[in-house]
Amino acid sequence: MLSLATHAVNPHSPIVMVSGLEKNYGNYPALKGIDFEIRESEIFGLIGPDGAGKTSTFHILGGIMDESKGEVAILGKDPRQVRLDIGYLTQTFSLYLDLSINENIEYAARIREVPEAKFKERRERYLRIMGLEKFGDRLAQNLSGGMKQKLALCCALIGRPKLLLLDEPTTGVDPVSRRDFWDVLGNVAAEGVTIAVATPYLDEAERCNRIALIHKGQILEMGTPAELKRNLGLKRLELRTRDIESSFDKLEDALKAKTVGDAISDVQLFGDRIDVLVRDTDAGKEALHSLLSADLKPEIVEEDATLENVFVSKLSSSEHAAAPSFPEAAREAKSGQAIAAHSISKIFGHFQAVKNVSVQINYGEIYGLLGANGAGKTTTIKMLCGLLDISNGEVSLAGRKTELRSVKLRKEIGYMSQKFVLYDDLTVMENLNFYCGTYGLSGKERKERIGWAIDTFELQGNEGTMAGALPGGWKQKLSFAASVLHQPSIIFLDEPTSGVDPLARRQLWQYIRLFAKNGAAILVTTHFLEEAEHCARLGFMVDGQLVAEGSPSEIKAAQPGVLISLKVSNTPKAYEALREIFEEWQVSIFGANLHVVLDNKEEDMARCQQKLADNGIRIFTSRQLPFTLEDAFISIVQRSKRNK
Amino acid sequence: MGSGFSALLVKEFLQLLRNKQLLVILVITPVVQLCAYGFALSPEVKHLRLGVIDYAASPVSRDLIAALTRNQVFDLEDSGGNETELSLKVRDGKLDAGLVIGPEFTRTLKQGKRAKVQILLDAVDANTAGITTGYMIQIFNNFTSEHAQTQVGVDFVDLDSTFLYNPGLVASWFFVPGVIGMVLNIAGILVSSSTLLREKETGTLEQLLMTPVSSAEILIAKIIPLLVVLFINIGVSLSISMGIFHLPFRGDPLALFLISLLYIFVVMSIGISLATISSNQRQAMLISFFITMPVITLSGALAPLESMPEFFRNLSLLNPLRYYIVCLKGVLLKGVGLDILWPEVLVLFVFAAVLLSLSASRFRKQMA
Repeated sequence: MLSLATHAVNPHSPIVMVSGLEKNYGNYPALKGIDFEIRESEIFGLIGPDGAGKTSTFHILGGIMDESKGEVAILGKDPRQVRLDIGYLTQTFSLYLDLSINENIEYAARIREVPEAKFKERRERYLRIMGLEKFGDRLAQNLSGGMKQKLALCCALIGRPKLLLLDEPTTGVDPVSRRDFWDVLGNVAAEGVTIAVATPYLDEAERCNRIALIHKGQILEMGTPAELKRNLGLKRLELRTRDIESSFDKLEDALKAKTVGDAISDVQLFGDRIDVLVRDTDAGKEALHSLLSADLKPEIVEEDATLENVFVSKLSSSEHAAAPSFPEAAREAKSGQAIAAHSISKIFGHFQAVKNVSVQINYGEIYGLLGANGAGKTTTIKMLCGLLDISNGEVSLAGRKTELRSVKLRKEIGYMSQKFVLYDDLTVMENLNFYCGTYGLSGKERKERIGWAIDTFELQGNEGTMAGALPGGWKQKLSFAASVLHQPSIIFLDEPTSGVDPLARRQLWQYIRLFAKNGAAILVTTHFLEEAEHCARLGFMVDGQLVAEGSPSEIKAAQPGVLISLKVSNTPKAYEALREIFEEWQVSIFGANLHVVLDNKEEDMARCQQKLADNGIRIFTSRQLPFTLEDAFISIVQRSKRNK
Repeated sequence: MGSGFSALLVKEFLQLLRNKQLLVILVITPVVQLCAYGFALSPEVKHLRLGVIDYAASPVSRDLIAALTRNQVFDLEDSGGNETELSLKVRDGKLDAGLVIGPEFTRTLKQGKRAKVQILLDAVDANTAGITTGYMIQIFNNFTSEHAQTQVGVDFVDLDSTFLYNPGLVASWFFVPGVIGMVLNIAGILVSSSTLLREKETGTLEQLLMTPVSSAEILIAKIIPLLVVLFINIGVSLSISMGIFHLPFRGDPLALFLISLLYIFVVMSIGISLATISSNQRQAMLISFFITMPVITLSGALAPLESMPEFFRNLSLLNPLRYYIVCLKGVLLKGVGLDILWPEVLVLFVFAAVLLSLSASRFRKQMA
């Protein structure tokens, strides 16, 4: 009935119609009856944790797999009958690495039977949009991850599909390239291509026209990002205090004991702030002031709820399960510097990967090293933990400046590498036993620690499962457990939550904080800004150099200029026009809106209005937004490039 | 070597036992290779088509023909009646061999001189032609010696003696020890390089290097399970050889164990070195082909070294597999022990020691 009404209102019939879709793998239901429609020229996001059913849905939409039950129609037909009208892009690059950019595109065009004249015209256009036109002869294997994904998109677009299916297209791609990729998507959608995209990133969800939250094979909620935030019915209070750990504990206790009634709905802890979700801002503020003593100096800022808030509130079923505390062995509390690097450099042949980087990290502190792919993060972390020799400079680790590879020192260090910590062909229990063994843990201690890992990460009953068969999020949690079983006082985490959904990430960070609270120094490298929010202090790396440092709030506050969100009459045209007067990174499409970074608020806003008026574009609303960490990241990277 | 080492060892054994690919390499390869070489590559030749023109037409010449055909090596076919026809038939492949016995054959023999016969051969298949010639010469020699001792009219062809030339059993005995060495060579290099590379590929090696275990412990923990599985490989090969080809085991098992241990260290070291220069298992597998092929060809496993040009014969002195096969043949077939084989064993020991220390130091350097 409802869909009939939509038809009447919407002049376009939907490109994709899915109703009552179910998919079973043996006895396991991957999709439990989902319904949605995707309209023409829309970017539709399927947002959900690992194993929610995103990829299954896409396989069925692409005609690769049959549904168990339900109906799927694309352009009114069975997906298999309209294959030429569907472009499909997966997480892995579907390119021929030993062919050049031009050859890859030509191949894609030929198998989709694109006429010669159209092929040439489209190739020019798409290469220009992607910013790849200068690299036509370069082999695909010599492209960066972001460029590869843009080329793959180009290949998918060359057949001019009506529907583009993108299954986590930006996994493993850094924020700058991700934003670039999404700018291109906005452009493509404006040309009339309908896009369905699955993603675990919530900042990407913000850029969709409509999103569906999918969890355990069911759609929990669907709508525009703004609607979802509104439907949550909660306001977000950003709380900063002098001691956020103890403030957070107090708030959590109060929430559990329900001493503040329903003034506070949820609290979420980040690196240097607490997000307090409240129904009513005044009542919420009052409750906060009554709970936190004045000497904590609470500062409260009112903000709108973020998608991450929505996601976590919707999905966290087991509310505030307290983290089982780690069975610690008694030891001397350490204080002061755990990791210190004084202008360290690394030179590989003629290439200087790291240039004069200095960082100090104290015991009990969580420090995040941020940067795009190839910025030198992993090289830096490897030098700091002794895996890689330094070319210049000095490293001091737990007070030692020499013999960073000594056995004694290694017992103090926990290290979680970027790839895999676990042996896929060993079971969960065998993996844990193995790492206990290598660190010399035995007897009661071993039993306690393994018990802790199993309880904490809810692995009961899965002790005999092969680690390779665990879902991605569990693997990361188990990897983390395996690398901290020996109670290290310095912990290195190289992209610990890459590819992990917000729920699992939130849980993992709960434990990372637990170790910091117990006095461990923690160094995290990441290019996920959502992860960076959890760090107390951040360092930004660009081209091997540390270009900015500070707490997440400091970094956001230190951004010059303002971020303006515009609602205009013709978003794609406005996007093109504004890119002519501003640098490209300053303008991007976010769903139906346009985000513009203005260096100088009044002056640039006037230029902006003038330019849009010249192009016959009307501005409906303009609103100043706070910088997110992602905005800050892009701006820092781009500005430091501009200064060169 | 404390609990860290035992943890490593347990892990390596578990991983090896769960590796299905390994099971195939260790069990299926010896079965397939031994059967392939033992049955299919037998140099024994039977039922060759022989055309004979007997101008002598005497009892002696008929006896000669009978000697050729009686043990089924040669079957008598239509010769066409004259030399021209015969040579055409051999050329066209209708006959494998032609024999022309001249009119003076009987007379020459009676005078006690060497009689000459003419043989025409289809030498397109050089191997068969060579073997055919070999058979004929043997039969003729026999015939001649028998004839010299006895006098005309006596049945002088000793049929029993022709069994010596049924080379079937001896051929597989020649091959089987070679194939055992060959299979060990292939399996050893592949398995040892892949256990190291798998860890490098997945990235767990980096994690391992941050634990307090030393690189020597990592290496030794990898070597021990390899020793066990490669001995199983030899065991499988030997069981098949003795079960199917009735290969004798005439020597001392302990001597075989020691020699094999040395050779396992040799192939393992090659595998480890391979792992240090390759970045993934696929690359290692490809390179291992280029190592394994010449090593096998120049080892005397499949073709006798004596038949090779001098340069390659000398080159084979640098091939450890050559010495292992000599030892295997010695212990299994001849039943000799270390008292006779010590020079080969010594060479193997030197190979093992040098290669192992080289590869271990390369490995440790890469780990540091």
